Amino acid sequence: MATTAQPDRITVPHEQPTYAEVTRDIAATLGNPGRGYFVLLGCVVAVLGVGVFALLWETRWGLGVAGYTPPVLWGVYITTFVFWVGIAHSGTLISAILYLFRSAWRTAVYRTAEAMTVFAVMTAGLFPLIHVGRLWYAYWLIPYPNQRQLWVNFKSPLLWDVFAVSTYFTVSTLFLIVGLVPDIAAIRDKAKGWRKRLYEITSLGWRGTDYQWRHYTRAYLYLAALATPLVLSVHSVVSWDFAMSIVPGWHATIFAPYFVAGAIYSGVAMVITLTVPLRKVFRMERYVTVRHFENLAKLMLLTGMIVGYAYVVEYFIAWYSGNAFERASFYNRAFGDYWWATWTMLICNGLLPWLLWFPRIRRSIPSLFVLSLFVNLGMWFERFVIIVVSLSYEYEPYAMGHYTPSWAELCILAGSFAWFFMWFLLFAKNFPTVSITEVKEIIPMPRRKGAHA
Amino acid sequence: MSDGMGRRRFLKVLGATGGGAAVAAGCGTDQVEKLIPYLVPIEDQIPGIATYYASTCRDCSAGCGVHVRVREGRAVKLEGNPDHPINRGRLCARAQTALQGTYNPDRIQTPLARNASGGWDAIAWDDALARVTQRLTAADPNRVWFLTGNEGGSFGTLVDEWLAALGSGHHVVFEPFGYEAVRHANRQVFGVDAVPAYDFARAEYVISFGADFLETWMSPVEFARGFSASHGYHDDTMGRYVHVEPRMSMTAMSADEWIAPAAGTEGAVALAMAHVLVADGGSRVPADARTLRAVLEPYAPEAVAGRTGVGAETIRRLAREFGARPGIALPGGTGTQHVDAHVTAVAANLLNYVAGNVGDTVVFGAHVNVAGGSTYADLRTLVTAAGNDEVAVLFVHGTNPAYAVPGGAVRGVFTVSFSRFLDETTVGADLILPDHDPLEQWNDFEPRAGVHSLLQPVMMPVFDTRQTGDVLIDLARRAGGRLAQGLGPTAAPNATYKDYLQRRWAALQRAAGERRPFEEFWREAVQRGGWWTDPPWTTVRLAAGAGAVAPPTWSVPDGAFTLIAYPSSTLFDGRAANRPWLQELPDPVTKMTWGSWLEIHPETAETLGIADGDVVEVTSRAATLRLPAYRYPGVRPDVVAMPLGQGHTAFGRYAQDRGANAYTLLGNEATAYGGRVHYAAVTLNHTGLHERLAKTEGRNRQLGRGIAQAVTLAGIAEGALDHPFHVAHAAEVPEREQAVLETVERGQEALTRYGPYAYTETRWGMSIDLSRCTGCNACVAACSAENNVPFVGEDQVRRGREMQWIRIERYFEGGEDGEPLETRFVPMLCQQCGNAPCEPVCPVFAAYRTPDGLNAQVYNRCVGTRYCSNNCPYKVRYFNWYDMSTPNDPRTFAWPEPMHWLLNPDVTVRSKGVMEKCTFCVHRIRGAQHDARMAGVELADGDVTVACEQTCPTNAIVFGNLTDPSARVAQRAEDPRGYHVLGGLNTKPAVTYLQKVRHVGEA
Repeated sequence: MATTAQPDRITVPHEQPTYAEVTRDIAATLGNPGRGYFVLLGCVVAVLGVGVFALLWETRWGLGVAGYTPPVLWGVYITTFVFWVGIAHSGTLISAILYLFRSAWRTAVYRTAEAMTVFAVMTAGLFPLIHVGRLWYAYWLIPYPNQRQLWVNFKSPLLWDVFAVSTYFTVSTLFLIVGLVPDIAAIRDKAKGWRKRLYEITSLGWRGTDYQWRHYTRAYLYLAALATPLVLSVHSVVSWDFAMSIVPGWHATIFAPYFVAGAIYSGVAMVITLTVPLRKVFRMERYVTVRHFENLAKLMLLTGMIVGYAYVVEYFIAWYSGNAFERASFYNRAFGDYWWATWTMLICNGLLPWLLWFPRIRRSIPSLFVLSLFVNLGMWFERFVIIVVSLSYEYEPYAMGHYTPSWAELCILAGSFAWFFMWFLLFAKNFPTVSITEVKEIIPMPRRKGAHA
Repeated sequence: MSDGMGRRRFLKVLGATGGGAAVAAGCGTDQVEKLIPYLVPIEDQIPGIATYYASTCRDCSAGCGVHVRVREGRAVKLEGNPDHPINRGRLCARAQTALQGTYNPDRIQTPLARNASGGWDAIAWDDALARVTQRLTAADPNRVWFLTGNEGGSFGTLVDEWLAALGSGHHVVFEPFGYEAVRHANRQVFGVDAVPAYDFARAEYVISFGADFLETWMSPVEFARGFSASHGYHDDTMGRYVHVEPRMSMTAMSADEWIAPAAGTEGAVALAMAHVLVADGGSRVPADARTLRAVLEPYAPEAVAGRTGVGAETIRRLAREFGARPGIALPGGTGTQHVDAHVTAVAANLLNYVAGNVGDTVVFGAHVNVAGGSTYADLRTLVTAAGNDEVAVLFVHGTNPAYAVPGGAVRGVFTVSFSRFLDETTVGADLILPDHDPLEQWNDFEPRAGVHSLLQPVMMPVFDTRQTGDVLIDLARRAGGRLAQGLGPTAAPNATYKDYLQRRWAALQRAAGERRPFEEFWREAVQRGGWWTDPPWTTVRLAAGAGAVAPPTWSVPDGAFTLIAYPSSTLFDGRAANRPWLQELPDPVTKMTWGSWLEIHPETAETLGIADGDVVEVTSRAATLRLPAYRYPGVRPDVVAMPLGQGHTAFGRYAQDRGANAYTLLGNEATAYGGRVHYAAVTLNHTGLHERLAKTEGRNRQLGRGIAQAVTLAGIAEGALDHPFHVAHAAEVPEREQAVLETVERGQEALTRYGPYAYTETRWGMSIDLSRCTGCNACVAACSAENNVPFVGEDQVRRGREMQWIRIERYFEGGEDGEPLETRFVPMLCQQCGNAPCEPVCPVFAAYRTPDGLNAQVYNRCVGTRYCSNNCPYKVRYFNWYDMSTPNDPRTFAWPEPMHWLLNPDVTVRSKGVMEKCTFCVHRIRGAQHDARMAGVELADGDVTVACEQTCPTNAIVFGNLTDPSARVAQRAEDPRGYHVLGGLNTKPAVTYLQKVRHVGEA
């Protein structure tokens, strides 16, 4: 693959692993986990259980157990939906777009990002179901032929969502699986027991022949090309859930680019959040280096600047439009009942990324980790502010209200993180989180000593 | 009845198992119901076709005529009787919820006797009657007392005759609002112990000294109709209304000017006005008014200005305005329920007299029956007599003194209650013989001299109850002797109360000189709902001693506040507190539900450090209560106010232990004129506790958005309507963009009007005249009753989840920086937009447009994404957060047996997780269309009346077809006062509001 790419060589000789070391090091991350892993997994599953209980409770008694307070009819669930869809974006960006742009530094982190994408979409996709009033009829949003000749409304942005998210899930899953095939084959040869059976099946008969490689690289390239527009389209469609409405604070043409930038921003932050501990635990310092983090930080800085710009533009347009409802809505954001949410968002997303202009911070993994947590928090609050705060202050003063999430919503929110991490933990211990084949591609060909180019 | 498997059962099981296989667990109904056809069809009953019976509402003393809609043997809705002279087809909010009394799950279902352990045993009627008979025959007749509410009809007479036959004269009538002060004043000033009729429609100037005549005072529906006829803007003119009271009541919110005198000094203001009129000597001032000159001498405007806090100039202006045209000065409400109330009432009488209104707008003759001639002092007599062991047996019917009067419970007496509910008085009784609901009985009521209103049973009784009239007759038969003989034919074998009633009506017919056969007369009366004539007017003159008045004396110690306890416009005196629809009906003033609150002026609250929802301890001489504060700019800073009606210690699941009982703060002394004091001197104490108020209002100011628009009468004269102002527009649109917008709009018009959506035949629309809307909530209650709208309970209201499809938004204007406080009401319901934001966003077409211009909502198709509501700028869509329609969720079930019998079979009961909203009563539209088609005629304007329009006492709401140029609604849509709420959003609503007109700025 990537035969025309200039391999971004690992230039520090004594850190340069051999092909055999790559396979060994990465395969070492798999296998039978220790007690710590099970404790962690147990905690995650327990939290997920609480979330599932809350969902069952809500389904039994009704959406009233959530904190909805009209006119705020979308709350934590849609906030979290958009949050996870956003998280899902950097995966495809890193794996597909950077692939097409031949940015070889992606190799160390793209598998993590891709897995994160799939699991984030899996998490996000639950929320539209959790949030509807009649969960058991959610399939009515799918246009299927039926005797009653009922059809869906293609004018509704919610329906576009159904297609956007399901398409994205399909493509990103395929992309992840395709990328995994050669790696699985590599570890298949080292695995024992039931894992060997698993890898034998999932490696789809990969033997690494020229013929296979030729088709594989083409397939990967085309998938990357297919996935690339999705990075832009999916979150644009999600943003239209809001932009297509007439709610002050939602109805804005800037929403699509603003959401896409925000999505990548939050996704990169999440990649950092996940990679830092993973690198430590799996002793991957040789493969995932500070340089990778710095590149991620630069990406975060770029998208963070775009997001910050979008914030400024939003406020400017609210003022410049002269529209009294818009002005009131944005004034309420900053100085109304939810000022704390707005300022959390503005500080975490708009101000803190400026720190990344300093190379020292960009290159400090602990500070990047902390910063990424703040960005994750800020991006969740961004969606909260857009959704909840706008709805709480619409047109009809008599019908304005104040929403506070209930225990059920918070449990389901926690459960969604548990769901995500459960999949991630299972993945990390059973599939290589760093691409074996692609890391090998950027290692110089093994030569005799002294013949170094 | 055998348990074997018969053919029917076999088929049922077969069907159930087959169905069970197809329907997953959790779906479908839980119980298999028996469907039994009418083997012998009942006359007049066609399944699916409603029958209407005329009757009379007995929820207060107003006595409005009702038409009861009955489907398959069950009453499902009350509507006003259009023939009835009191209400002319309209009803108030309380009457609209009457069925929640009839079908209340807490009704007493059988006779009950107190057992040794203090609990209740259900007993048979025979047993119950035998026990009473035994007590009756054993007791000294003179120690038998009968306590009733206002029974101004045959039942009251029967009680009197029954007691007389027994040898007792102790019939006490107790109404918490007995209008003692008004009657006292009429005795004093005119020598007539009665309440006159007030002709609001003729009055061009109304000044109310505390009378809440649009809420609870005497006959609110009748008064609201008359008031809107004169005060509603019509033909470039309107009446003027000034309200004088320390608190701005809902009624006062319709006033053009609100004057807040010091508590208890309304009378002084009225006397000063009379002083000015007599001094000026205008053309309307009668000759003998000069005799009052000496009496009025001390009440020069300058002299009372200090005490009342109303400027002398204001008083002079009011007096001159008032004297210049036919008007009414009204004494009433909380203005006539304090120690000096008789002064207020006398003053208002004198003012009416000197202004020449008596015999013009204030008419004696057609006297209003308000409290059966009894006073509060009579109840005190009973309580005292019971304390002195002068009462052996007490019968209680239709009144609840144990709740309304501290220490009003009669103890240590064998008490027989006829109550339908276990209220505070009844829980202290020894024997309960539950009466029929008014809808289950034959009876009559005379709300006003000459108006004889009939009640007839509209369905089989819901429970094993008996009509008290029949019980009394039966008791007489059983007791025999003097009692039976004294009653004569009334107690004849097999004679019933209906026979008694008919005998009285036969006498009525004879007295009226009617010559038709009685049967014919009776049938017509039953069909019409009664029989009415106009009694002759009587002319009254000033009586001797008419002017004996004393200056107001009410005052409170330093640091204390005057507490005004006012009748709740929803729960009245508390008798309706067990109806969940009423509990959830927002108070028109504060928009509070399900509880009590203390109204406190924002400045006072700030001084005391009290915020909305802070729990305040209110201490009077008599009691201490804790209740949350509500900051209300419509009370004087030295006054706090609190509604009556809550704080029941019994009275069923919906009323018990809810809020605080303001009566307890008031003490129980009778005043000099025999009335009751509804004022108390109280101290306030912040408890440090806080609770979230269960109110339905978000913000009480419009934020300049033009939701509720108003113009002044003077402004109209100056051409304010020639250039309609566009506050409603989101922004000022530059001219160049305006042209573009218009082009786009024409294009849109062409694109949206196609095929069946061309609106060539029908587009349903509504018009609401804000100059007539008084904010009374009748439409809200009517809508709930018509459309099976569930109540959601206090906690859910706190979360803003109330479901009422129409709500009355109440906005304040002014009230700050010396600006007068002004209130505007806007009934807000689905605007049935022509360009509806809710429709395109629904992913499953649950929200869609019908070709006749309705925004339909298909409940069965709704998945519950709630996007429609987010996108609705008017916020008139309501989501079913919980299961309120089935007993699967007992916590939220809104129709516990037998309450579900009031559900309208024409309207779906919505399930959990779906969105619902106003349908413009689509079932009524389709029903009318069907009837027209069957009759082969075109639908005419007025053939379809929607529930809110039907009940609106002031005719503020008009419904019809916008494409029919002759329709009232289409004409109103062209009114220069017309505007669309948030019209700048291009939603093209089908509801046109007509701006409120305020009669200010002109003498």
